[in-house]
Amino acid sequence: MKSYLKLVNFEVNRFFKMYLILIGITILSQIIGSFAVSKRYMNEANRMIYENLMPKSQFIEQFGGLSFSKIVFSGWFMLPIVLCSATLMIYVFFIWYRDWFGKNTFIYRLLMLPVERINIYFAKLTAIMFFVLGFIALQILLIPIEMHILKSIVPADFRTDLPFHEIFNLSLMVWLYPNTIIEFILIYGIGLIFVSVVFTAILLERSYRLKGVFLASVYGILSFIVFFAPASLDIFFARGYFYPIEIFVMELVTGVIVLVSAIWIANHLLKYKIKV
Amino acid sequence: MNVKFNNRDPVYVQVIRLFKEQIARGYFEPGQEIPSRRELANQLKINPNTAQRAYKEMEEQGLVFTEGNMPSRITKDEAVLKRVREELIVEAVENFIGSIKTINVPLSEVLELVKEKYDTESGEEEGSE
Amino acid sequence: MIEVKNVKKKYGRKQVLKGVSFTAEKGEITCLIGINGVGKTTIMKAIMALTPIDSGEILIDGEKIRKESFEKITFIPDAITMLPQMKIVDAFTFMADFYKSWNPERAKELLQFFKLDASERISDLSKGNTAKVNLLLGLALDVDYLLMDEPFSGIDIFTREQIADVFTSHLIEDRGVVITTHEINDIEHLIDRAVLIDNGEVLKEFSVEEVRENEGKSVVDVMREVYQG
Repeated sequence: MKSYLKLVNFEVNRFFKMYLILIGITILSQIIGSFAVSKRYMNEANRMIYENLMPKSQFIEQFGGLSFSKIVFSGWFMLPIVLCSATLMIYVFFIWYRDWFGKNTFIYRLLMLPVERINIYFAKLTAIMFFVLGFIALQILLIPIEMHILKSIVPADFRTDLPFHEIFNLSLMVWLYPNTIIEFILIYGIGLIFVSVVFTAILLERSYRLKGVFLASVYGILSFIVFFAPASLDIFFARGYFYPIEIFVMELVTGVIVLVSAIWIANHLLKYKIKV
Repeated sequence: MNVKFNNRDPVYVQVIRLFKEQIARGYFEPGQEIPSRRELANQLKINPNTAQRAYKEMEEQGLVFTEGNMPSRITKDEAVLKRVREELIVEAVENFIGSIKTINVPLSEVLELVKEKYDTESGEEEGSE
Repeated sequence: MIEVKNVKKKYGRKQVLKGVSFTAEKGEITCLIGINGVGKTTIMKAIMALTPIDSGEILIDGEKIRKESFEKITFIPDAITMLPQMKIVDAFTFMADFYKSWNPERAKELLQFFKLDASERISDLSKGNTAKVNLLLGLALDVDYLLMDEPFSGIDIFTREQIADVFTSHLIEDRGVVITTHEINDIEHLIDRAVLIDNGEVLKEFSVEEVRENEGKSVVDVMREVYQG
C-alpha cells in the first residue's frame, strides 16, 4: 500500500507541470471567454438599441436573452475542455510508452522496484483518474465564477438565468458532470474500466510486440462485447424484456468482469511476460 | 606498487614472487606490517580472492604470519628470509645461464663481461644517486 | 548463488538462448564474455524477470525471483535508468523511498569516490559521469548480487580505471558480481570466473586462476581456442 502511494505520487509529479499548464489554459480561456461573450452580446444590444433605436423588449424578443449556455457552447469554454480531454487521452498511452521510449529507459527501474509490479499499473491508473477528477473539480469551481462575470456585465433584463444545477443538465455537460451518485459512478466507472482495458492492451503490445498488437485488438474487442452485452441484449434482442434496474445490475456485473480480467491479465503480463 | 602482471601465470603466484622480491630487496623488513587483502587487491588492481589466495600460500610458506586479529606481518625467521634471497638469486642465475647457453659463449668470457658490466652499472647508479 | 539452468529463449524465429546454464557464486566476480551478438544482456534481463524465457529455470539462492528478490539482487544496465530531469539527489531520494537496502552512507561515499556533485541534473552529466551515477545507484544498494552490463564500454580510460578500482575495493565487499563484456583485456586480473558465450550457448565456464595455474593459459588464450576452433 505504501509503495503504491509512493508510486502514485511519483506518477502525478511526472505529469504535474503539464497538468498545471492545461489548468492555466483552461482558466484563462474560460474567464476571457466569459468576458468576451458577455461583452459582445452587450455591444450588440447597445448598437441595436442606441444606434438602430430598437426597443429593448424587441431586441430581447429577437435575439433572446443571454444565457450561460451561450458561454458554455462557445469555443472559449469548449476548446480547453477538448484540449484537456485529448491530452489526457494521449497521456493514457504516453504514461506507459514514455517509460520505454523516453530518454533513459525508466521501465528498467520501475520493474526492478521491490514492489508488486501490478502496483505500477494501479499507480498509473490512479494518476489518470486523479487528473480527470481534478479537471472536473476545476470546472465546478470555474462555473460560478464565470456566471458571476456574466452577471456583472449583463443586466438582469437581458439575461436568461439558469440555476447552477441546470447548467449540468445541458446536453453535453450531463456526460461530464453527472447529477446523481449513481450516474457519477456509472460514468466514471465506465471511464475507469475503459482506461484499464487500454492499459492492459498496451501491456499486451509491450509483452508480445507485433503479435501483441493483434492480441491487444482481440482483447479490446472482446472486452467491449462483454461489457456492452447486457445493454445490446436489451436494444437488439429483447427490447423491454428486462427492467432498467436489471440491465443496470447486469451492466455492473459485466463491468466488474471486464475490470477484474483487465487487472488479472495485466498482473500476469507484468510478472511473467513483460519485455524491456 | 605499480606492477604489470602477465596474463598466463597465476596472479597469486606473481603476487608471491613480488613479495619475495620486495623482501630480498629489503623493501619489506622482517616483522613489517603488510596491507590487508583488500588493500593489496586495490593497490595491485587484482581480484580480492586472488590476493587472499596469495596471502594464504605465503602464510603456508612461512613468508608472512598473523597473530590473532592483528594485521599480517613479514616473517622474522632469518632462515626463511635467507632462503627467499637465495631462491631469487638462483632463479636469476638459472635464467641467465639459460639465455647464455643458447648463444654458446664460454663461461670465462661471460664472467669477465658480467663483472665489467656490473661494475659500470653499479657505478652509474651510485653516481646518479 | 545465482543458478541459470538450461535457459532457452526465442526472439521471433531466432533462438537467442540455446539452453544456457551457469552459476555465479557470492563473493566472486563472474564475467560473461561473448565476442558477438545478443545473449549476454538477454541473460541478465532474464535473471531480473525483465524478459520472459521459453524454458529453463533461474534461481537466486535457490528461489525464483519475486519482489523481495530486488532487495537482494540488482541489475545495472549499460545506460542509466533514472529520469533525465532528476538531479542526482532526487535519484537518491527515489531509491531511498523504495529500497530498504538503499545505503545512504555508501551512496555519499561513492559520490566522493567518483567526485560527483549531487545537485547536478542527470541530463547535464557527461557520458563518463552518467556511467558513474548509473553504477553508483546499483552499488549503493546493500544487495548480495550485482549484475552489470558492459560496465567498461563506451567510457573514457580514466573512468574505466575508476570503475576497475571499484571492483577491488570494499564497495564490492563479498558480493557476487556478474558482469558482461566483449573486451576482456582490461579486467583479466579482476575476475574469478569466466563464462564464454557465443550465439546463445555457453561454450566454456572456468576459473581464470585455475586455467593459468594448470594450463598456463590466459583468458584470451582460452577464448582463442574456444572461438576459433
